[in-house]
Amino acid sequence: MTSETAAAAAPALPRAQLALPLPLRFALRELRGGLRGFVVFLACIALGVAAIAAVGSVSRAMTDGLARQGQAILGGDIAFTLVQRQTTPEERAFLEGHGPVSEIAAIRGMARLPDGSDQTLVEIKAVDGAYPLYGALKAADGVDAAAALDAGRALADPELFSRLDLKPGDSIRVGGTELTLAGMIADEPDKLATGLGFGPRLLISRQALETTGIVQPGSLVQYSYRLRLAPGTSDADVASLTETANATFPQAGWQIRSRDDASPGLKRNISQFAQYLTLVGLAALIVGGVGVANAVGAFMEMKRPVIATLRSLGAPGRLVTQLYLIQILLIALIGVVIGLAIGAMVPLLALQFLADVLPVGAETGFYPTALGYAALYGLMTALTFALVPLGRARDIAPTALFRDAAAFGATRPRLAFLALAILSAAALAGLAILLAYDRRIALYFVVGVAGAFLLLRLVAWLVTALARRAPRARSTEWRLAIGNIHRPGALTGSVVLSLGLGLTVLVTIALIDGNLHRQLTQSLPERAPSFFFLDVQNSEAPAFLAFLNEAVPDSTVESVPMLRGRIIALNQTPAAQVTPAPDVAWALKGDRGITFSAEPPKNSRIVEGQWWAADYAGPPLVSMEAGVARGLGVGPGDTVTVNVLGREITATIANLREVAWESLAINFVMVFSPSTFAGAPYSMLATLSYPGGADPAREAALMRDTGKEFPAVTAIRVREALERISTILDQLMLAIRVASSIALAASVLVLAGALAAGHRQRLYDAVILKTLGATRRQLLLAFGLEYGLLGLATAVFAVIAGSLAAWGVVSGVMNQPFTVFPVTAVAAALIAVALTIGLGLAGTWRLLGQKAAPVLRNL
Amino acid sequence: MLDTAPKSSDAVIELSSVELALGSGAARVHILKHVSLAVEAGESVALVGPSGSGKSTLLMTMAGLERVDRGRVSVAGTDLAALDEDGLARFRGRNVGIIFQSFHLIPNMTALENVAVPLELAGERDAFARAAEELGLVGLGHRMEHYPSALSGGEQQRVAIARALVARPAILFADEPTGNLDERTGREIADLLFATCAERGTTLVLVTHDNALAGRCDRMIRIHSGVIDKGPAEADYDDAARSLAR
Repeated sequence: MTSETAAAAAPALPRAQLALPLPLRFALRELRGGLRGFVVFLACIALGVAAIAAVGSVSRAMTDGLARQGQAILGGDIAFTLVQRQTTPEERAFLEGHGPVSEIAAIRGMARLPDGSDQTLVEIKAVDGAYPLYGALKAADGVDAAAALDAGRALADPELFSRLDLKPGDSIRVGGTELTLAGMIADEPDKLATGLGFGPRLLISRQALETTGIVQPGSLVQYSYRLRLAPGTSDADVASLTETANATFPQAGWQIRSRDDASPGLKRNISQFAQYLTLVGLAALIVGGVGVANAVGAFMEMKRPVIATLRSLGAPGRLVTQLYLIQILLIALIGVVIGLAIGAMVPLLALQFLADVLPVGAETGFYPTALGYAALYGLMTALTFALVPLGRARDIAPTALFRDAAAFGATRPRLAFLALAILSAAALAGLAILLAYDRRIALYFVVGVAGAFLLLRLVAWLVTALARRAPRARSTEWRLAIGNIHRPGALTGSVVLSLGLGLTVLVTIALIDGNLHRQLTQSLPERAPSFFFLDVQNSEAPAFLAFLNEAVPDSTVESVPMLRGRIIALNQTPAAQVTPAPDVAWALKGDRGITFSAEPPKNSRIVEGQWWAADYAGPPLVSMEAGVARGLGVGPGDTVTVNVLGREITATIANLREVAWESLAINFVMVFSPSTFAGAPYSMLATLSYPGGADPAREAALMRDTGKEFPAVTAIRVREALERISTILDQLMLAIRVASSIALAASVLVLAGALAAGHRQRLYDAVILKTLGATRRQLLLAFGLEYGLLGLATAVFAVIAGSLAAWGVVSGVMNQPFTVFPVTAVAAALIAVALTIGLGLAGTWRLLGQKAAPVLRNL
Repeated sequence: MLDTAPKSSDAVIELSSVELALGSGAARVHILKHVSLAVEAGESVALVGPSGSGKSTLLMTMAGLERVDRGRVSVAGTDLAALDEDGLARFRGRNVGIIFQSFHLIPNMTALENVAVPLELAGERDAFARAAEELGLVGLGHRMEHYPSALSGGEQQRVAIARALVARPAILFADEPTGNLDERTGREIADLLFATCAERGTTLVLVTHDNALAGRCDRMIRIHSGVIDKGPAEADYDDAARSLAR
């Protein structure tokens, strides 16, 4: 063949390649070898990215759903909420001047069977003819929802039917009237705006509410006025209407919400929960990062001859680095794309399953921002963990080609790469903190992960050092096993690091889960009262207390007056202009229960200032819970203005109290001096505790009797309320468990990868030892012991570190007592040992059966 | 012709009083001891000696792959001590071709791409056309799109030769270029190597244990324990002559 024909025939493809920059061109050629050796790398990145992308997409689907359905969720373009009072004619006229108004009233009450044999707490919502202004109220089984609401009929959540064993057409008693249940509610568009309560919804008309007679002076009733503004009204117009309303009626004390922020609480909860899940996903990604580092290290090791060849042909070190950096990033990109594809699809499935659980109609969609962040996390993790092994490539000398592989020796990564890796890790941490809803928690997370990394390195070092110093075991198998733990090229470091991180996350989550459940199912019911009674009218309070004492003679009954009020100013500064600490921001949102008392309440301790004299009758004084007061930046001597029953009351803070909230005994953020509300109507709040705990039968009997004697009193069974919370917690924990099992899955992947990487060495060892007379049983035992010891050491660390982390979260963040669950610890240890032995021997087993000769020839 | 003394007049490679030790601590070995030599442009030189004598290290030193502890190394008019690692890499790219005993082709590149690498590194736009031409010259015009794994040992070494020569270097270094090949293929490769170098006036320095191959060089330098043996290596020449006669 002539050179001319050769030249003409050759370069169709290469010419196209020439357009690419040199490092990219070489990288693409190198990648022709396929992605063998990168399975763990790809899986780790894909898994972590998928988790983060899925969490981001689902939470965005939910918050977008909230935003898009703002009008329906709120029940109008703008809503004005008043507590314990209706609008004045002037206020009503003002509202009607801007568009059609719908007025609804919300109150808790008891729904009883007509024969009084059973009853349950219901969240009553009484609507007018204009309801709903947006969206449609739907009833199940073809019942006409709008027609079903008249003076004698009601609609209810399916839950009420099942609780009281009723069917549509049956009757219930509420207060002093009997209502026919016309049907079940299938869709209540503004369910969120009226809050998620302790009981099922009972939807009635305003006339029906009148006839029940449960709304008494001082009753905890909430009136909400929703407005439909002219079509095309902008969010800015809505905002300016808010300002006008506040300016026109500065004393109204209403809470105003607009359609663009229809359910701030839920939005906050979604963001907060998404953050926790994202952090767990990030933990999975970081665990996977160890797999990335292992894979890149092994890859660079394999590529040494190629790098040396390129260097001998004149490639500068920078080109070599670029070439491999591009390859690693391209592979990471493949992992990221796989992860994003999975993550983008999860919402489609998840929202199907969650449709019944979610209080908001989330709409599935494609969320580029959520996916973008997940991709960024994935690429930055890959970069962070790839840089150090990559840094070793630059200094691979071409002289290596003239010597044995053994002469390659270990090269230290360049300082610049180490610095870059640290910088990249810092950027990753910064991104996690920057994107977090609660930066403080994200910071704890980052510090925790960094600490765990360092500690795991230390543990690996300690295990190696201990193995080295261990006395010579008499048994050959033990000697081999211990030797394998400390010799050069041992698996100790990679096993401890890969399994340790994932297992620590698992132990932490399991312990937090266990502690929360213990609180809800054991600790709280033991300490908390059995019943809360709401809406006990001041006038009937003596009779009610006497009834309780008679019904349960040995019980402890406590009662306090209760009103509802909103903080509207601190030191004369309007609440809207106060910037509270994030953890007490709730105190300024909406109305709170308040009380008055001559004596300091039980379960609280004065930490600053003085309690007022029992006969104090001067200007209003208030005692505030210390944590809330500090969060709001006020203390004794400052003033708080509250709106109660439409009246503004400014009180001076006399003292601060510390409250033991977890006892669930009656307590309030604000306790006023007795003369403050003189003459105002109020109801009593009472609690009842059975000595030595109650049984469900006694509770049910008391509930029934209360319903008969005092139909207007609302009885809340703490046991039921806690069960409700426990159910919600179960749903949340399921999501957290899924996320943390992804971290463990990443761990197992990395572990499997690390063990597989050691198989070549294992094969060599096994063959040499077999040649020297070792039996398969001996080898199996030795390898099993080695893996078992490593798994056990890792488990011990994971249990200690996981317990510490869980303790920090439970007692530090949640302020709850912490209990260690030994079963969890033992289970974690067993998982670790089983995984290492299982995965380790799975690879080694095959090797043991191999004949020595062919292997020896190829060594 | 057998003189190893520096001849500074036309010398393309010049080493004077070169010292080199490798390893550290107790494992440190003094490999090159006060080595001085010169190689003229267009000359072919064989470095021979027992295993571990330092001949490969000497070759690496001349190719700018190994830095010396003391002494001066000047290749193609450049003092190698003055160059940093990347400078040395660029220097190699421009002036030096290297052939290895184990070929060291890049497994994921085709024969053509392997040969084009030095030109691509030098930023040559016609890299592939010239690489194709070079492959044609070593008789592999029909194997250009094959990957190394699909080539025989002899073919792989031809690709390696084409890669070493494609940038028209002034000097070609070869480390046991026929060491991994059977006798016949080895002879063919040697023919190709000498013919091409002679045709282009390329200086050739090779390390070999094969006396027949060494005997085809203009000059033989014998190394023993890091020191260049002074005086003619008649015995080697007798061996070489005998093996050629065979």
